[in-house]
Amino acid sequence: MSEVEYGLIGLAVVLGMFLTGIELAFAMIVVGVVGFGTLISWDAALSLLVKDIFNVFNSYSFTVIPLFVLMGQVSFNAGIAKRLFDFAHKFVGHIPGGLAMATVVGATTFKAICGSSPATAATFASVAVPEMDRYGYGRKLSTGIVASVGTLGVLLPPSVTLIIYGIITDSSIARLFLAGIFPGLIIAFLFVCVIFGWCKIDPKIGPVSPKSTWVERFKTLPDVLVVGVIFVLIIGGILYGFFTPSEAGSVGTFLVLLLAIFKKDINFQGYIKSASESIRTAGMVLSLIAGSTVLGHFIAITKIPLITADWLVSLNQPAWVIVAMISIIYLVGGSFIDDIAFMILATPIFYPAILKLGYDPIWFGMLVAITVMVGVIIPPMAVVVFIVSKITKTPLSVVYSGVYPFLISLFVGWVLVFLFPGIATFLPNLLMK
Amino acid sequence: MTGFLWFTEKTSKLMDIIAYTALTSIMLLTVTDVVLRRFFNAPIVGTYEIVGMLGAIVLGFGLPLSSWLRSLIYVDFIVKKFPQKGQDIINITTRIVVIIVFLTIGYHMIQYGTELMVSREVSMTRRIPFYPIAYGLAISSFVQCLVHVVDIIKIFGGEYE
Repeated sequence: MSEVEYGLIGLAVVLGMFLTGIELAFAMIVVGVVGFGTLISWDAALSLLVKDIFNVFNSYSFTVIPLFVLMGQVSFNAGIAKRLFDFAHKFVGHIPGGLAMATVVGATTFKAICGSSPATAATFASVAVPEMDRYGYGRKLSTGIVASVGTLGVLLPPSVTLIIYGIITDSSIARLFLAGIFPGLIIAFLFVCVIFGWCKIDPKIGPVSPKSTWVERFKTLPDVLVVGVIFVLIIGGILYGFFTPSEAGSVGTFLVLLLAIFKKDINFQGYIKSASESIRTAGMVLSLIAGSTVLGHFIAITKIPLITADWLVSLNQPAWVIVAMISIIYLVGGSFIDDIAFMILATPIFYPAILKLGYDPIWFGMLVAITVMVGVIIPPMAVVVFIVSKITKTPLSVVYSGVYPFLISLFVGWVLVFLFPGIATFLPNLLMK
Repeated sequence: MTGFLWFTEKTSKLMDIIAYTALTSIMLLTVTDVVLRRFFNAPIVGTYEIVGMLGAIVLGFGLPLSSWLRSLIYVDFIVKKFPQKGQDIINITTRIVVIIVFLTIGYHMIQYGTELMVSREVSMTRRIPFYPIAYGLAISSFVQCLVHVVDIIKIFGGEYE
């Protein structure tokens, strides 16, 4: 049997093991060690296993993940999202579908300090949905938009997904953060357009709420300004080399924590809860990275990534066909396991092809991120939809039917970034020569 | 048996406390270093390597509780379609595989730690030895095994979610 055949069998076994309920990271470790041991030597495989785990865990670069997750968790537990929603509510609540639009504005602003999709969806499910209920909004719209805005965290900085992509592909995290801003804002705007159109067709689904005075509106501004300052400090700090991404995560968390303590929004227990939750998320992500590192050594010796790259180039198809094919694979794969897990598994395989085809890795990262955004809200593994359904006690079918119109926004966003790569690359090229 | 479950849960929780203390230390150390470096031109020497090591504690020591709480990613919608007995057999099999994985990692991590100790491998700036990190990760691996043994006990007791 050739090395490639071993590799393909290994990948099939990994996917098969995923369906047995074993933790995905552990399945990757098992197949990686057995594959490497079979092809090279068992001593080398076991030695590589411990060194891979030691190096992933004992790595300065990877500490960026728990730190940015901690910043999001502190923001989440401190109730900062509620203030941001109040701000948007005061400004746009009086127009048809205004509270749903306020959810988009509030969540987009919240994303500046929280890179987690589930945390954003959970926050706005408990903050925005009861408010929309109060004004008679249809549950389809209220839960659908809350689940959909949760996905913005995949694209808008400081996105944990983009950090992971940056680590896997050795791309600049600062460039990825900058590249995510315009596509993220465009998709947020498209969400607003869908709300507007939906409320035009069915005015009962998003009735108007009372108009706020300008005094009430201005009272909500300071909280948004503080979040804005923290965001600019973090992104600007990384961009101008003032600090590393890990330092930015630490400084951002520290500032958010200071703000929360100053406003008496968080106590010691709240902080402990945030820290412990961060470790759960970071452990989940980094165990996957450790697993994919072990599996990656086996896949590398089978030469599958190189052969995949050669094959895709030899297809002689237009760029959009190849990128669309890869995106569909991400979408289907991510739908059946987990989108982040599939991204960690598949990116090392397809990334050489992207380089060989001469595509910009940052641009490709944005397309992958939008694909992941779709994956987290479509069945069967729609984590964000599960959370919204559970918190709002709404049947899954209602949340799904509310999400579908917003998929149009994500699809249009993907097409725009694909057709006009400048949407993603303009900002990093302008600010990072 | 209750004592074993209690011991495993408490050990995992204790390790988690160490993990989030390490995470908080990373944040405070890094912020202090940034302030001292940028405003007083007096960086804390070796911050980079201390943060890396603390990161190993954060992730290694946090993992047993993550497994206890089943917060790592897994896919069980196919397994759940099986009758209860079939689910139990699959779950016991996967738990045994995971226990073998972590026994292997723990055993080889001890060997690796001993190699690092004998060869006096230390960090570049602060000259902090690496072997305690390897030993720490080995301990974490063995506690992981206990967590998965508890899973098997729960399966037999019909309490496994």
